[in-house]
Amino acid sequence: MSVFLSSLGFGIISAAVLAIATVGFTMQFAVTNVLNLAYGSVMINSAFVTYFLNIHGHLNAWVALIGGVATGSVASYLLNRFVYTPFQRRNLAPITIVIVALGVDLCGTFGLQAIVGGSYFTYRQSQGREWHFLGMYFSTLQLTIIAIALGVMIAVAWLLRYTRLGKAMRATSANPNLARNSGVRTQSVISTTWLISGALAGLAGTVFAMNTGVFEATSAQLYIVLLLAAMFLGGPGEPYGAMLGAATIGIATELSAAFINPQYKMVIAFVILLGMLTFRPYGLFGSERTA
Amino acid sequence: MSVELSTQGQVLSASQVSAGYDGRAIVHGIDVEATPGRVVSIVGPNGSGKSTLLKSLVGVVPVLGGSVSVGGTDITNVPPERIATMGVGYVPQVDDVFPPLTVKENLEIGGYLLPRHQVHERIGAVLEFFPRLKKMMTRKAGKLSGGERKMLAMGRVLMLSPSVLVLDEPTANLAPLVATQLLEEYIRGFADAGSTVLLVEQRAKAALRISDWTLVLGGGRVVLSGRPDDLADNPVFVESFLGGGAHR
Ligand SMILES: Nc1ncnc2c1ncn2[C@@H]1O[C@H](COP(=O)(O)OP(=O)(O)OP(=O)(O)O)[C@@H](O)[C@H]1O
Ligand SMILES: [Mg+2]
Repeated sequence: MSVFLSSLGFGIISAAVLAIATVGFTMQFAVTNVLNLAYGSVMINSAFVTYFLNIHGHLNAWVALIGGVATGSVASYLLNRFVYTPFQRRNLAPITIVIVALGVDLCGTFGLQAIVGGSYFTYRQSQGREWHFLGMYFSTLQLTIIAIALGVMIAVAWLLRYTRLGKAMRATSANPNLARNSGVRTQSVISTTWLISGALAGLAGTVFAMNTGVFEATSAQLYIVLLLAAMFLGGPGEPYGAMLGAATIGIATELSAAFINPQYKMVIAFVILLGMLTFRPYGLFGSERTA
Repeated sequence: MSVELSTQGQVLSASQVSAGYDGRAIVHGIDVEATPGRVVSIVGPNGSGKSTLLKSLVGVVPVLGGSVSVGGTDITNVPPERIATMGVGYVPQVDDVFPPLTVKENLEIGGYLLPRHQVHERIGAVLEFFPRLKKMMTRKAGKLSGGERKMLAMGRVLMLSPSVLVLDEPTANLAPLVATQLLEEYIRGFADAGSTVLLVEQRAKAALRISDWTLVLGGGRVVLSGRPDDLADNPVFVESFLGGGAHR
């Protein structure tokens, strides 16, 4: 099997994981106006709740995942309720929230490390058999992750486009005052957005850990770079853009890992991010609106 | 003509209202009473606080002093999403639509408080009123022309059959003919059908023509008020607003 095809295969799986994470991240940013740089720590903490239920609770990893999803959801809701909202209420400079989020991220990651220690962890889970497509190999686990990602994409697209809640979320994102004048209770829309996007963070964190196989408390520490790159590539607040951005970043970083140097993965993502911010600040598909 | 779109009005009353941003008042001690079947208009130079006043009435900007009521119920500093449930419809001067949403979705958000099964029917009624929107239901609001956009902004607010319409310069950026039509047919029509209309309008002449009562704001205070005929005879008013050509 060629190096190109095998790394393309890796890229597709990374992209699937990243797509789940980015859709939640971009939704959070667009609707709540908070650039939640602590997203990576929510992901990894959720992954560890799944681990705990899987190993100590003796639950099947896929069942334990529900606990991880719930953790991401509740943690994000609480984070907004007790950290971001109080800071936002004070009408401080936007940079304040960014600094607060960074602090939360550090506390989340290193607080977790203080609890679980510096060792490596792995779920008790079978990879399943290998499947062979077009010169690429995928395990059943990997195919399941890809299927989950596709399912999530369809569900989110449907939510935003066809449901009353989804339309209220988009209206709140586009023009919160006008949404309120139309009778939309934007505070509860925003809370719901934290619950949903947090659930996506929990899901992404768990499948990220499943896909990595071996993980530690700091495994998702730099994931925010990929998230930002994928989000800006697709245009902030654009769920379809997020999917395409994630696909591009996932595949580009894995190919660069194979052909340049695995150490440069994040650098490549960062270069793409900088390029986007310079030339197409609203993303490949975005227009000048949200953000 | 607009009978089925808006409903029988309620009194919107502001008493000694002061309001502004970050705790600093921009408008001071304003009294306004808008009653069913009538158009009350507010005119005044740029920056005199017209928009700030309207925003404070609909809950977007905090009321720092005085009180606001609608239909006898106190709505001072009640959140805008609650005021929307009380029959008050507000069209802001800027940011009056949801640009990334389609025309249809904008109207749906306008009807957010309606029972689900009524939304479609209401959209039909609004489209009868603004037939031009019919052809652009799937277009994004951000892609509409200025006139189409204002129609959509008005259409959105009509989704809830408001009894009180609070309109901030609905004719800004419209071609003169369209502006006249909007004011004389539609907006005057709402009042004639029994609704309450409170209107901010820069075109002083046009405002007087359709109003029952007009307030002149200057520096955040009411400097003059009266029936249009009387204002039109007032030399101060004529000097500032109708003559000279400094203003339309
Ligand atoms: N969000 C805000 N924060 C702080 N000050 C504001 C804000 N919006 C408006 N102002 C100030 O309040 C004053 C009144 O503005 P306002 O928009 O109410 O005037 P206006 O009469 O509606 O003017 P125009 O005819 O240009 O629409 C202005 O000095 C303006 O700079
Ligand atoms: Mg104004």
